[in-house]
Amino acid sequence: MKISLNWLKEYVDIKVPTEDLIQLIGSRLVEVEETVDLSQKYKGIKIVEVKTVEKVAGSDHLSKCIINDGSNEHPVVCGAPNVRAGMLAVWLAPGVVLPESFEDEEPLVLDQRKIMGVESSGMLAGADELGFGTEHKTIAEIDPAMARAGDDFAEVFQLNDTIIDVENKSLTHRPDCFGIIGFAREVAGILGQKFVEPEIFGGAEELQTSRGYIEDGEIDSHSESLESSTVSSSQIIKQYKQLEVKIADPNICPHYSAAVLEHFSEKPSQYLSTTTVLLAKSGMRSVSPIVDITNYLMLLTGQPLHAFDYDKLVAVGGKESPEIIIRVAKKDEKITLLDGKTISCDVNDILVTSNDVPVALAGAMGAANTAIDETTKRIVIESATFNLYNLRRTQMKHGIFSEAITRFTKGQPPALATLVLQECVDFLTTQYEMSLAYDIIDCYPNQTENAPINFSVYELNKLLGTDFTYLDVDKTLQNVSFQVSTDADNGTTVVAPWWRTDIHIKEDIFEEIGRLNGYDNIPSALPSRTFAGIAADQLGDLKTQIRQILASNGANEVLTYSFVNRSLLEKSGQDLQNSYKIINSISPDLEYFRQSLTPSLLNKAYVNIKDGYSDFALFEINQASQKSDGLTSENIPVMKHKVCVVLHNNSKQTAYYSAQILAKELLIRLGVKVKFLPAKNASSITAPFELDMQRAAEIRDEITGVNLGVVGEYKRSIINNMKLPESVAGFEIDLESILQRASTNVKQLKESNYPSVDRDITFRVASDLPYVELEESIRQSLKDQKLKFTILPVSIYQSEEQATKNISFALTFASHEKTLSGDDISMIIDHIIIKAKDSLNAEVV
Amino acid sequence: MNIEQLKQELATLKRDQKKITTLPPEERRDFGQKLNQRKQAIEAQIAELESQQRDENVAPLDVTAPMGVNEKQPSVMTADKGSRHPLMTELERIIHIYNLMGFSAVESRQLDDDFHMFGSLNFPEGHPARDGYDTFRTEEDFIPPAHTSNMQYRILQDGKKDLENGGQIATVSYGRVFRNEDLDATHEHTFYQCEGVFVSRDANVGQLIGVLQEFFERYYEQALNIKTQPSYFPFTEPSFEFSIEKPASIGGKKGDWLEMLGCGMIHPNVLKTAGIDPDKYKGFAWGGGIERLVMLKYEIDDIRHFESGKLRFLKEFK
Repeated sequence: MKISLNWLKEYVDIKVPTEDLIQLIGSRLVEVEETVDLSQKYKGIKIVEVKTVEKVAGSDHLSKCIINDGSNEHPVVCGAPNVRAGMLAVWLAPGVVLPESFEDEEPLVLDQRKIMGVESSGMLAGADELGFGTEHKTIAEIDPAMARAGDDFAEVFQLNDTIIDVENKSLTHRPDCFGIIGFAREVAGILGQKFVEPEIFGGAEELQTSRGYIEDGEIDSHSESLESSTVSSSQIIKQYKQLEVKIADPNICPHYSAAVLEHFSEKPSQYLSTTTVLLAKSGMRSVSPIVDITNYLMLLTGQPLHAFDYDKLVAVGGKESPEIIIRVAKKDEKITLLDGKTISCDVNDILVTSNDVPVALAGAMGAANTAIDETTKRIVIESATFNLYNLRRTQMKHGIFSEAITRFTKGQPPALATLVLQECVDFLTTQYEMSLAYDIIDCYPNQTENAPINFSVYELNKLLGTDFTYLDVDKTLQNVSFQVSTDADNGTTVVAPWWRTDIHIKEDIFEEIGRLNGYDNIPSALPSRTFAGIAADQLGDLKTQIRQILASNGANEVLTYSFVNRSLLEKSGQDLQNSYKIINSISPDLEYFRQSLTPSLLNKAYVNIKDGYSDFALFEINQASQKSDGLTSENIPVMKHKVCVVLHNNSKQTAYYSAQILAKELLIRLGVKVKFLPAKNASSITAPFELDMQRAAEIRDEITGVNLGVVGEYKRSIINNMKLPESVAGFEIDLESILQRASTNVKQLKESNYPSVDRDITFRVASDLPYVELEESIRQSLKDQKLKFTILPVSIYQSEEQATKNISFALTFASHEKTLSGDDISMIIDHIIIKAKDSLNAEVV
Repeated sequence: MNIEQLKQELATLKRDQKKITTLPPEERRDFGQKLNQRKQAIEAQIAELESQQRDENVAPLDVTAPMGVNEKQPSVMTADKGSRHPLMTELERIIHIYNLMGFSAVESRQLDDDFHMFGSLNFPEGHPARDGYDTFRTEEDFIPPAHTSNMQYRILQDGKKDLENGGQIATVSYGRVFRNEDLDATHEHTFYQCEGVFVSRDANVGQLIGVLQEFFERYYEQALNIKTQPSYFPFTEPSFEFSIEKPASIGGKKGDWLEMLGCGMIHPNVLKTAGIDPDKYKGFAWGGGIERLVMLKYEIDDIRHFESGKLRFLKEFK
């Protein structure tokens, strides 16, 4: 929102330097995005009188003009049709920057040049070139009542001004600050000054009590009129049936007021108006005199207004007794708006109708059927309050983001509507010689007042950590027109002014006091704490540990999106139906919540191989979720915390074993001993892995027997689909099962005090015998003999065309009871050999 | 049909295709379309069968063995090739500082519901303040949370007993959050946040500012100038933006302010919803993003690097 400092100064006395004011606004009211010094933009621009105008020979539209800048005469060539001798115009002399281009990277600087052989000194500017509109044909003409030749343009139009652009978002709860008066009130509060309420807000008390509303749903009920304070009864003409207003449901429209005005004639002034300039400073364009006035009042007060063509409105309704009915739209009800677009409504949209025929999408835009045009004789001005939640949905659904709906969706105070309408009527009747057809129609069914809020200064200081006194509270709040009373028994009682719709609880009042006096003045302190230890974040600690282990084993941590696309799921062999689907995803690439991490990492492996990397291991620690895991006790999806690795192995070795050793290394460092066992593909998580053809394995906890995850190569079809080489493999492990395991007490056999013996041993076994069975057999033998031992696999050898393979181990063992003798050792080895022979038909080599 | 049969079928179709010229012109289009559909279906079937064959053609391994037949023992890579993600390293450091200050930590959920995302945090249904969060939703109306405040209700409930036994609630929640924003150099739809919650009998604004200043001074290992600005969040009252003067260590000059996070005193309705009496207990909460801290620290100019998964970027961080 753009705020003119000069306009602000009309309502509040600002003595501090502008930089200090901006700093104070930033720290005590709202974030200031930018300030623009307009005096630079309009520097050196003069108002001049056009003395003579004559056609340039050979041109159909150019004229050579002589202008007077108050002291000297200059030649200027001008192409505008409205240039004429005697008029006051705006002259951009050579050296002056074209205001329209002021914010450009290379602003245009006027110069002296010859145009079609005629000397031209600078230019006469149009409103668009001055930055006030889009109209390009004519040059701006200045009202002689306002200025004389030689006057400084910026001074005449109050352009020696600073524009403060504030962030709307941090004022979401402050509808009152979306008008200059409300903003000025806050500035007064910040500066510690009592705000002098302008008449429009000061007069609120008595107007607020006036009745006149329509019961909801009753068709034949009648609206009472509100006596206009400024229009004499002789001006009120009652030749035709009075317009009535009916609100179908006060929840969607708490307040609707309307005024019918006659003798409307849209005669745009030939002169550049101060309103146009003021609107431009506030970031709005001049449209037409009537729209400009409503916009001006909106910028001033925060209350949007809308004007209809009265006769069209009556005609559209098609009944003799015109009635405005405000109701919600029917599903798919059509309305063609002022911008020519026909929209299909939703049951949340609110419609203003004329005898049930839509004439406006409430709060957003009027309908084309009641637009004001050159034939308009009578108009209806609407000033209303609509349900902000409905309007918010209207805004989103139809993509309408006007200054008006921005204000409506903050929740303008209902009491404001009639006051601003009254102001508008006063303006139109006095400045435009229009007349009010009959009293303002005011429909305001459920008037509410702000309830008193009671608190103690002790509570205030306790929450803020301050030491405010009763006097501080009194002054701070009264400056911004709160009613404050204090008595010894009941503490302080505050009533917020009617325009503050955001004050409901005492904390809201504390916010006012803390903020207006400056949060930066609150002394900072640390809370006291005991020496009680904090609870460990076991999952977080495990993740940290895994991160360290994998990185120290040469792996690279990545983070990838939790959202994946349909194709990645399909390529990975995962069931689409098992993924939570995002209904408002940014793109089809981010449509599904991932079920596991492997597909994402396969994708990133491809990216890095394409980048020229080889021999790497990517890992990610993150959450995933699949529908088949069901819901938690809170009725939300079960989340699985996982660690996943995808590695690329450029050596001749089988990728499976590279992944297996990394998984084993990680788990050993986490204190988990595991076995790798053949398994069948059983879930979404294992779907990408080649379990069925035994190039991937289940990771099973040796002690608890729990399945911790899956390791291995991926299905060839998937590798192919994802354009990956065959030498990729990886694993995915569930972290909760590791955490649960941490609480399992693992007993280690105690150390032996006797010397240990090293022996190598090789067995010949059938080539299809799983390695683990032989290792298990040796382990069992050594266990049976109550030895302390380690078994280290050394090699697996198979010559070509043989049905057997040789497996070699390096064994280390020691007794807990004695130093092993040669005989003891032979017996131990024999035991191993016999057991392997008996159970596995293994031959020692 | 097996692949051979399908291929024959395809050949037949190609022969049929030639017949199209013999048909009357008005029938050609329809005929051509049907032929094409059939052709595409057969081609898909062949591709499917071929990929199945590929899967079936692989030689099984002894997955229980620690190495391949006639292969060397596999080994892991050396530490110098490894790296940790800078976001995670920074998050660990941040949590460590909060731990030292007495805050426990809990990771946030990546799928949650409306109640935890909005309802429990004093955002009424349809409230315009919800717009600022640009939340994603699943078909079931679950929400990938747009802030780590989705953990606030749980933290308050979990700590309620301690609080009533004379203790305090002091916890940070951290994790991944999501917003429906278009991607550019400074905007990500997926990013990380860390959020703090403190509740005691006498928590106040002064303490909130004190805790935040303490954290950032520990984080930047130097004294800092700070400022607070008014803001609006439905779940805090009063609400602030907290800024620090940009430290010289990351190229800051006097008067350069960095907006670090949003914060405020926990709204009484939020405490009430979690079953904590707002007349007896007061609390404050704050939350901010992690990415920006990392970007400032390492002079990273594009937020998209973080989720790119590119080794070129990642290998810079040990």
